[in-house]
Amino acid sequence: MSAFLTRNRLIVLAYAGMVVLLLVTALFSPGFLSVSNMRSTVVLAAFVGIVALGQTFVIIGGGIDLSVPWVLNSAAIIMALLCGGQDLPLIWVMPLLLAGGAVIGLVNGVGVARFGVPPIIMTLATNVILQGLILVLTGGSPTPSAPALIQFLSVGRIGGFPVIALIWLALTLVATLLLSKAAFGRHLYALGTSATVAEFSGVPTARTTILTYVASGLTAAFAGMLLTGYSGQAYLGMGDAYLFTSIAAVAIGGASILGGSGHYLGTVAGAMVLTILTGLLPALNLSSGALLIVYGAVILLTVSIGSEAFAGLGGRLRRN
Amino acid sequence: MDLVTVKGLSKRYGGIVALSDATFSARAGEVHALLGENGAGKSTFIQILSGAVRHDGGSILVDGQDYRPANPDAAQARGIAAVFQELSLIPDLSVEQNIWFRHEPRTWLGTVNRGEMRRKTLALLEKYNFPALRPDRELRRLTLAERQIVEIAKGLAKDPRILILDEATSALPAREADWLLKLTRQLAAEGRLVIFISHRMAEVRAIADRLTIFRNGATVAAHDANAVSDNEIVAQMIGRHLDRLYPERVPTATDRIALRVNNFSSGSRLSAVDFALREGEVLGVGGLQGHGQRELFQALFGAARAAGTVELWGKPVSIGNPRQALIGRDGIALVPEDRRGQGLLLTKSVRENLTLSVINRFTENGLLSRQKESDMVKEMVDFLRIKAGTPEQLAGTLSGGNQQKVIFGKMLLTQARVLLLYDPTRGVDVGTKGEIFQLMRDLAAKGYAILFHSSDMPELVHVADRVMVMRNGRIAATLEGEHISEEGILRAAMLETRAA
Repeated sequence: MSAFLTRNRLIVLAYAGMVVLLLVTALFSPGFLSVSNMRSTVVLAAFVGIVALGQTFVIIGGGIDLSVPWVLNSAAIIMALLCGGQDLPLIWVMPLLLAGGAVIGLVNGVGVARFGVPPIIMTLATNVILQGLILVLTGGSPTPSAPALIQFLSVGRIGGFPVIALIWLALTLVATLLLSKAAFGRHLYALGTSATVAEFSGVPTARTTILTYVASGLTAAFAGMLLTGYSGQAYLGMGDAYLFTSIAAVAIGGASILGGSGHYLGTVAGAMVLTILTGLLPALNLSSGALLIVYGAVILLTVSIGSEAFAGLGGRLRRN
Repeated sequence: MDLVTVKGLSKRYGGIVALSDATFSARAGEVHALLGENGAGKSTFIQILSGAVRHDGGSILVDGQDYRPANPDAAQARGIAAVFQELSLIPDLSVEQNIWFRHEPRTWLGTVNRGEMRRKTLALLEKYNFPALRPDRELRRLTLAERQIVEIAKGLAKDPRILILDEATSALPAREADWLLKLTRQLAAEGRLVIFISHRMAEVRAIADRLTIFRNGATVAAHDANAVSDNEIVAQMIGRHLDRLYPERVPTATDRIALRVNNFSSGSRLSAVDFALREGEVLGVGGLQGHGQRELFQALFGAARAAGTVELWGKPVSIGNPRQALIGRDGIALVPEDRRGQGLLLTKSVRENLTLSVINRFTENGLLSRQKESDMVKEMVDFLRIKAGTPEQLAGTLSGGNQQKVIFGKMLLTQARVLLLYDPTRGVDVGTKGEIFQLMRDLAAKGYAILFHSSDMPELVHVADRVMVMRNGRIAATLEGEHISEEGILRAAMLETRAA
């Protein structure tokens, strides 16, 4: 057990941070720990958590995916347009858009792994291209409202549990199996630790890299559809917040932004921390500008505590 | 009077004691060798001396005054400079920019005085008779050996009274290594103290006036070099008597060809090589550094592009990447040159490193079986006698010899029976060296076919069944039986002879 704790101390730290933050928030706004409020916090965190799932894979593999905002936004808008408020088209629209997200991920992955384009440039470019495409497609006009079924997935409940929380739980299970119990996970951590060593060890580095971006495209597109259900309709810019939060959730969850370490279980805590924080800050009665400043500063602080621990470890290894 | 006196020096990293009781004294004007197995504490000791690390206990006197440098700059201010094994050079800067980095000569405007820098560089290179080196060449275009030489120049540029050379010869080919040995004598004659670390006994014999032996973080003995035998030194280093470094060479080669290479080329460094490696054979690859050995090994493993035909166990194969080389029993495995950069995930456990190449073998229905994996890891750790606290210990915290064993283990687990070993004993302590040679002969006896490059010529002479000598990307000669000798290898490597 103690070995587990030392090995995963950053993840443990993230959960500890989450609990502390919950208690602090409860002090400032006593209603915060109520069942209904916790439920809505988990729902909001789920969107961050789902987008950050693919991002976790990409970052562990040593890359970064900056295309999530507009993959998410594109899926949301195209879904709303194709469904026109009806449930029935979802049968083919959802698979189509998930496949679309996967294709964007494939393009990102192939660009990075086969053509050697730096991940920041590659994914930033697909992000901007998607943004342009959507602007051309919609002309900036609002879209029809979201189908009822998708609204059920994002705000509905089964036996008191938010449906989206159950979806998130299932995805967490899948991600954990992939990272901890599958060959893919080993390959991914090796790739992120040293691409050269991985290559010399026979790890399918290109395939592994591409798969991480495909996963990220999938989860971003999926989150886009769910988020449309949550807000009732799709609108331009709805994905913008998720660029920062998806990366911050991974970092707060204990992953090194340079790759090779971290876990989705940490990211889950990271997503919770970010969401609780957005709940806490309004309770402090700050102006919206001050809110953003505090929000950014807290994230900076959290992430640097994590990276500090890693820098220390790296330094020790170099000296030996 | 002694220039440096060290008493009871200690250093801990968390729970790990790197140095418990180091004692050391050396005079100006001598070459003082520091000997010990990997993990004996030599590296920590010189890191403390050079200001990279601060000690916990004990005292250091330099010129009779207390010495406790806060950083390498402070050490340099007291006249101490170190040339480390892990190079500290910047690939994008030129040779001279690296040499004078942060100590560039300035103009009155404060900008770098390029003319002066060039003049000082040439003067330095000439004074110490450096091998040909162009000051304006970008560092990334240099070979590992040339970079090591630049590192030495950088150390000398500080005009130190005490120069520490940490295995500086291990990356150098024979001629350059000889130059460095002469250089250390020259520096000592100028009244400087040279602290010299090497795993090569012959070098230590050639230049050291005195030597200090470390074991398990403490000094075990200090001797005048001419008052002690090699056997005594080795026994003190490893704490027991080592019967012999090189195992008995019983020929085990069969007639079966394991690896046949025809008209094999790669880049501009390897041109049209032909050879055959037999089952049960250790085939040495020698020659001066940079004559195509690296390219040969990398290309055979699929880590570099190549043209020509390759047959493994009689079947033509096309290997475009390491993944296609590591295909199990009929595959081909490489123990690479750069242990830390190509061989090991330093921040991952021994277990994860060992099974990285074969992780698919431990999956059932797509899920890993930790039990199967642990069994296999335990077997390999025992077989190779890898000294790790637990298989969960991080590979980067192991000593050099044990790191190399982990890489061997990783490659052996792939079951490939053709092994490419590129300088597997570089920077490895003498005890582990002996184990590696024994392992090579044992594997050969089991029918493995081994291609073996070493930068240390006696290893080729004593371990290999045949030695191919490379020159200018070709095989200049293949030596067999009694013709295998250091002189024979050197002659073939340096003189224009007809290819055998």
